[in-house]
Amino acid sequence: MKVEILIYAYLAVCVSMILFNIVCIFVFRRKDKNIKKRSIDFTDIIEEQLDKQTVDETHKSFLRKKLKKINHMMAFDETLEKLYDRRPEDTQKYIANLCSVFVFLTFKYSEKNQIQAAYFPYIIKKYHVFKGVSIPIVQESLMELVKEQNLYCRENALQALYSIGGADSVIQALKTLDKAGSFHHGKMIADGLLCFSGPIDELSEKLWMNFNKFSIALKQAILDYFRFSSGRHSEKMLQLMIDDKENQELRFSAIRYFAKYHHEPAQAHLYSLATDDSPIWEYRAIAASALGNYPAEKTEILLKELLCDPNWHVRYNAADSLERLGVRYEEMIDIFEGRDRYAAEMLRYRFDRKKLKDTEGMPV
Amino acid sequence: MMNQDNFMVIKTILDWVNVFFVIYLIGYSSFLFLAVVVGSSELYNKRHKEELKNTLLQNYYVPISIIVPAYNEEVTVVETVKSLLSLEYTLYEIIVVDDGSKDTTSQKLIEAFDMKPIRRPIHRKISCQPEEFVYESVSEKVPLTLIRKKNGGKADSLNMGINACKYPYFICMDADSVLQYDSLTKISRPLLEQGNIVAVGGVVRPANSVTLDQGRVLNYQLPSNILACMQVLEYDRSFLASRILFDKFNGSLIISGAFGLFKKDTVIAAGGYDHSTMGEDMELVVKLHEYCAMNEIPYCIKYATDAICWSQAPERLRDLCKQRKRWHLGLFQSMWKHRVMLFNAKFGAVSFVSFFYFLLYELLSPFIEIFGVVTMVTAFIFDLINIPFMFLFFAIYAVFGCILTLTAFFARTQTIDLKISVMDALKAILLCFIEITFLRFIMAFVRATAFIGYKKKKLNWGRIERKKINVK
Repeated sequence: MKVEILIYAYLAVCVSMILFNIVCIFVFRRKDKNIKKRSIDFTDIIEEQLDKQTVDETHKSFLRKKLKKINHMMAFDETLEKLYDRRPEDTQKYIANLCSVFVFLTFKYSEKNQIQAAYFPYIIKKYHVFKGVSIPIVQESLMELVKEQNLYCRENALQALYSIGGADSVIQALKTLDKAGSFHHGKMIADGLLCFSGPIDELSEKLWMNFNKFSIALKQAILDYFRFSSGRHSEKMLQLMIDDKENQELRFSAIRYFAKYHHEPAQAHLYSLATDDSPIWEYRAIAASALGNYPAEKTEILLKELLCDPNWHVRYNAADSLERLGVRYEEMIDIFEGRDRYAAEMLRYRFDRKKLKDTEGMPV
Repeated sequence: MMNQDNFMVIKTILDWVNVFFVIYLIGYSSFLFLAVVVGSSELYNKRHKEELKNTLLQNYYVPISIIVPAYNEEVTVVETVKSLLSLEYTLYEIIVVDDGSKDTTSQKLIEAFDMKPIRRPIHRKISCQPEEFVYESVSEKVPLTLIRKKNGGKADSLNMGINACKYPYFICMDADSVLQYDSLTKISRPLLEQGNIVAVGGVVRPANSVTLDQGRVLNYQLPSNILACMQVLEYDRSFLASRILFDKFNGSLIISGAFGLFKKDTVIAAGGYDHSTMGEDMELVVKLHEYCAMNEIPYCIKYATDAICWSQAPERLRDLCKQRKRWHLGLFQSMWKHRVMLFNAKFGAVSFVSFFYFLLYELLSPFIEIFGVVTMVTAFIFDLINIPFMFLFFAIYAVFGCILTLTAFFARTQTIDLKISVMDALKAILLCFIEITFLRFIMAFVRATAFIGYKKKKLNWGRIERKKINVK
């Protein structure tokens, strides 16, 4: 009977699932034990090298042989982590002497599947293996990983490049990433660039030089990076902000930059953006927020006007900026007693909140 | 005496019913099998990836607002907020919305966190009942807001929370749940990994007999209460495994109301939570599918298997029945409201797989199962049933179900480093049989009768007995 055959087929499935469960339990236990055992073996061997303060060739060839296997690399990672805690300087010196071993491993790991390949740049980054050392073969291999579909291959490779610290290779990696077209969140790029260990000024200069070659999404991430990194980009940001042919998201980023860094020449432009009567309310809202960083009588007058803006976000940001500018209750009496209930409500909330924070002794 | 013709008619009907049930059960077993295999392998694969650092290790974050709707939650609300304050995450805010509680929910919060009254303007982007008062606390590590509003139901409270929150993503959760310390990091990770994400579902785990300290599991064991214990097994088989499978083709139709993350703009554009349904959590997800597909907006709804929320599972049968009736009515309301999605090519796999599965194996399953029992009795009366074959069939079905349950259970415990005792393993093996053979049928009956008194309880909060989660 057909039904009976099906029933027996399902029974067979049940039995295989039981076997699958049992095998998994044993595989996991064995794997964990093996890594621990290997880590103990590694500790003894590496400590011997640390004591000698040099790394001999026999040890290097031992590592070349062992570390090309992923399970040994995991045990090596575990060992180094422990040794870093106990003998940080000796361990760093030891790693610095292993460049040739890691160059060899670069080839080996580039042949592995994407999950395993992603582990190698993680190790490079974690132990700053090639910090300040430019080895074309290693960088080419990392660049290949940046093209991969696997997000972690891309991200770990970028992290490794940031840790090596070469501005040119970072720029090239960003171009490669952009060309590959895979989704890579702007937050990861902006925060990642902040980890760059090389000369920051050189990186910034090269980012600006290549700025127009990047996609909008990448440009936005780079502008975010500039905003988080320093106030030394005001001139270029100003050009971007006032260029009405430029992409609006990039212009928004530029306005946000001036909310963080005070730049006198930007003030007049912020006034005009805050009174912009285009249907895109975001210009007014972000400019209203930025003006909290530009104390002046004209700023206060303008922000008071923005309190009556039909858009909720513009009113909210204007009230927030007025609070940050430290205006007093008496100066705002016309708003509180005026006919615009929404403006008064918004401002009252900011004032009450400031009072609450002052009472609690919190920074405003 | 029945004449030969009538007998033949009944026999023919029963033969066709048999064919239907064989196909139905094969369909269900195959789905369950696929779900558990895909779910378990995904969990093992995830563990392997994490071992090899295929994970985001940097402190990347997106700002998140946590909305806690509360109604008569004086027993648990303070502990819940304390646990939220101990979450390890860089930028978030907490908004508790008291839906006109008749107990001292608001007072407990105001006293515990030294909250102060404030006149806060709220931007009404989605309709909800008006607020009665707003309190804020600025002395905690993240902004904490309490909004007390006129009673309007859970969906209405969530809408108020969405209106008041300031960040681009919000999390909805229950006031009697505890989020694991890393849950925000884990639930927000898909946002960084993939574009176009509009919602991410977290995992809800029964917290009965689990001890938590600052959102960390100190002691994990299966609940001593048998009913709660069976729910742990059921959650692993039915929810964890099947949601991972649906996740593979962007087909998730449910994100638990106890823990889900949503993109605020998209939710507002879709109209927010629906006040008129009981299962507002499912309705919102189905609505997001419909809204995005109809407007040709690229979107993705993900399921984060490692973002964990601990919640009390009902320990009394009466409470469990109430909960399941509510879920079933919510399912019916959501599916009826969005019936346009059934067999509609515009929605792709969501329509032909997820929606169809929910219709056949969730919404109609209690009726089909009860119909099956009635058929068996009829067949028995007319001596048309092969009793040994029937028992063999059921025994194999039960063994199959149990093994799948245990596979999902052990896959979960092994892949997230939860150590379970031998006693708990034996308990799981024993109770999964009872769950498959008894509880499942009781729940089928409960769900089939959910529509009795439907209009009367359409919009209430569906109270079950509240117990504090064991937090140190």
